[in-house]
Amino acid sequence: MPQPLVELCRVAKSFGGVQAVKEIDLTIDSGQIVGLVGENGAGKSTIIKLLSGVYPPDRGTIRIAGREVHFASPRDALAAGVTTIQQELTCFAHLSIAENLLMGEAWPRRKWGGVDWTALFAEAGRRLHEFGLSLETHRTLAELTAAEKQEIAIAGALARRARFVILDEPTASLTEPEVKRLFSHLRRLREQGVTILYVSHRLDEIFELSDRIVVLRDGSLVATHRIGQVDARQLVHDMVGRPLEQVYPRTRSGLPGAPLLELNEASRAGMFRNVNLAVHAGEIVGLAGLVGAGRSELARAIYGLYRLDAGAMKLCGRPWQPSHPQQSIRSGLVYVPEERKRQGLVLGHSLAESISIGFSDRLTRFGLIGRRSERRLVTDAIGRYDIRAADAGQAVATLSGGNQQKALLARWLEREPEVIILDEPTRGVDVGAKSQIHALVDSLAARGKGILFVSSDLGEILGMSDRILVMNRGTIETELRGPEMTAHNVILAASGLYQPADSTAPRQSREPEHGPP
Amino acid sequence: MSRIPFENVRVWRRMPKSVRRRIAFLVVADLAILGFIGWRTAGSGTSFADEASRMVPNVAPIVLAALGLTGIICCGAIDLSIGSILGLAGTVFGILHARGCPPWICFSACFLTAFSVSAYNGLLVRWLRMPAIIVTLAGLAFYRGVALILADVGARGFSEQFTIQGAAYHAPGKDYAGAILVAVLLVTFLWEWFGKTPRTWLAVGSSETACRLSGLRPERIVLQAFVVGGVFLGLAALLEVTNHITIEPARLGLGFELNVIAAVVLGGTSIFGGEGSYVGTALGGLFLYLIGPAMLYAGVNEYWRTAVQGGAILAVISIDCALGRKRKLLEELR
Repeated sequence: MPQPLVELCRVAKSFGGVQAVKEIDLTIDSGQIVGLVGENGAGKSTIIKLLSGVYPPDRGTIRIAGREVHFASPRDALAAGVTTIQQELTCFAHLSIAENLLMGEAWPRRKWGGVDWTALFAEAGRRLHEFGLSLETHRTLAELTAAEKQEIAIAGALARRARFVILDEPTASLTEPEVKRLFSHLRRLREQGVTILYVSHRLDEIFELSDRIVVLRDGSLVATHRIGQVDARQLVHDMVGRPLEQVYPRTRSGLPGAPLLELNEASRAGMFRNVNLAVHAGEIVGLAGLVGAGRSELARAIYGLYRLDAGAMKLCGRPWQPSHPQQSIRSGLVYVPEERKRQGLVLGHSLAESISIGFSDRLTRFGLIGRRSERRLVTDAIGRYDIRAADAGQAVATLSGGNQQKALLARWLEREPEVIILDEPTRGVDVGAKSQIHALVDSLAARGKGILFVSSDLGEILGMSDRILVMNRGTIETELRGPEMTAHNVILAASGLYQPADSTAPRQSREPEHGPP
Repeated sequence: MSRIPFENVRVWRRMPKSVRRRIAFLVVADLAILGFIGWRTAGSGTSFADEASRMVPNVAPIVLAALGLTGIICCGAIDLSIGSILGLAGTVFGILHARGCPPWICFSACFLTAFSVSAYNGLLVRWLRMPAIIVTLAGLAFYRGVALILADVGARGFSEQFTIQGAAYHAPGKDYAGAILVAVLLVTFLWEWFGKTPRTWLAVGSSETACRLSGLRPERIVLQAFVVGGVFLGLAALLEVTNHITIEPARLGLGFELNVIAAVVLGGTSIFGGEGSYVGTALGGLFLYLIGPAMLYAGVNEYWRTAVQGGAILAVISIDCALGRKRKLLEELR
């Protein structure tokens, strides 16, 4: 019987009234790889942050190797042998590998006090070698690939005698062979008695690697499975739970018209490859997939922010090779970005300015904006999109998330574009604004616009879309229509595990992706 | 594990590519300009050695102050008040001289003033927890004001400037500038080669979070950079002040910080911190200064020189950036 290394006892954490984690009891046995799965917002990242000392729990106790711990900072967690390998690695990009590994320790010195670089590089080389890596330790980290940086972070953790390693979505930026390498490292760590908490959205990886799988849903632990006693179907069932009964608007006819946007074998190195898709007039096409699957990159390439390496695009039947977003906007294609605060809005601007910036070129005469016509259009838009604000002069930053998003939509939709790409349009938006946005999107489709709807919210994408394209590792492998459009199928397809019920239907096999030569 | 047996080769390799490229460029550029000046002096019959000995007292203060600022910028901080600190140190020197203090007291007071004000800047940044650019921007005005008040209060019958008489008071700036510069450069390069401290500055500049996670204290390291910068600035002030016959508290060192920052940036140090080197800064300061005499010998119109100097800085940095971007693009496509 293995000893429990980490124990969470009735641990709870809430943020501003929202219960991120509700009284969880979790034990992790020593020398195991435990997979942690759950939908977005299930509380995975809160658990990681509680364990790595980023913030303390509101209630409950955390025990490590039987001793109760209270981490005041990530340093305390490190000292207790808990290392977290973040998705975004924190390292010294312009220092050498050796310095990165040994920073914070005493460095070998010569008799007269100077740093003994030979010994330093040798020591770092020894540590890497123990881990099975051989890299020139004087190279700077900036020259390495994401996978190599990650390996160095893990090797560094081991050298500090880490007993418990948490990995948060470690494979998001790795290629297939690199993933295999990472897995072999992790298995070897397990043999050495290190305990690993592996957090991932990718069910295939979870199945391949873990000894035990823990499922979170809405901040509660819903199931713990031993590997071999559970299949993907059961796991997805645990993750999704009962489907939420929510009504999505549907005033559109659902009969697609002429193709507005077509992609043929579109590829861009490192982002997406061989993408084929079509968006027709009057249709909402859902684009699902995991973070890092390349959805936003694809959307931005269509919009003209990145150039294609290969393949062709067509907009409204004409060949489409945008060189700049401005060209897209003029041609009737708009993209509403994922992070409205960073990419969408100028937060200090007034509501009126935020809206009119989208069509100010239509208002200008001799390079000056006609204030009166601007005010008229803006007031119109505020009424039509039901933006709740004190007046049009209010700063955008002070509006609620939902109203910010509506302002952003108003800005672009006032131009009457033909094709609209929405990237996570309801993230961080309250329920009321959410259903207003849904109704708006539906009415756009009813008016014959083509909509590409990118979303990580399962319920939303299932409810809104006429059909769903699922992206996995940079390409679209699966298209779900009609009765195939279920939460199970979307989750399975996002990990490349989907098998169509109709076995005669051709299915692209999941070829292991080989890194660029 | 390493395949390269020579330590010095690895010291070269552990610098980021951008810094290495800039150092290589500056070595070539500096040698080319020196060669050009040598050729013109030989042609016109003046001695190159004379020319060089006239250059050294002018170039030394900029290079020394730039070395100090390199450490500070590597941390991701900056000191904009360097010129005013210089003015303050010069004023203290002038007052003591006017009161008849012996040279060594004047020298040490000048050094200590510049050193302690620079270190105080570091303390302020640490205490106020504000960006160094704001703290030292306030210092830029404040220290100049203190210099004027001191001159008004401390020296009887003061009007606009101090006149420093007596060769002994000019010894460091005029006679020993070359020796001091060479000695400091040697020590600095050795420190860069074998020291750990400069590497921790780069670490703070790279990522404060990563520093905290590896158990370092970023605030303390930044303060350390300001204190070390103070030593360099003290020497720079000593050489600059003693190189002048007259000291005007309102004008001494005016705009000096901009030359110093230009030298650091020209030397390949990233203005956002995280990468940089002493060697690059020394070469960059030399290049910045050499453009002046080179234009003189090339016969560039006097009124054009400042513009050409600015253009040269922009050209070096933009060519470098363009090359870097192209390389990055190629790597991305690979």
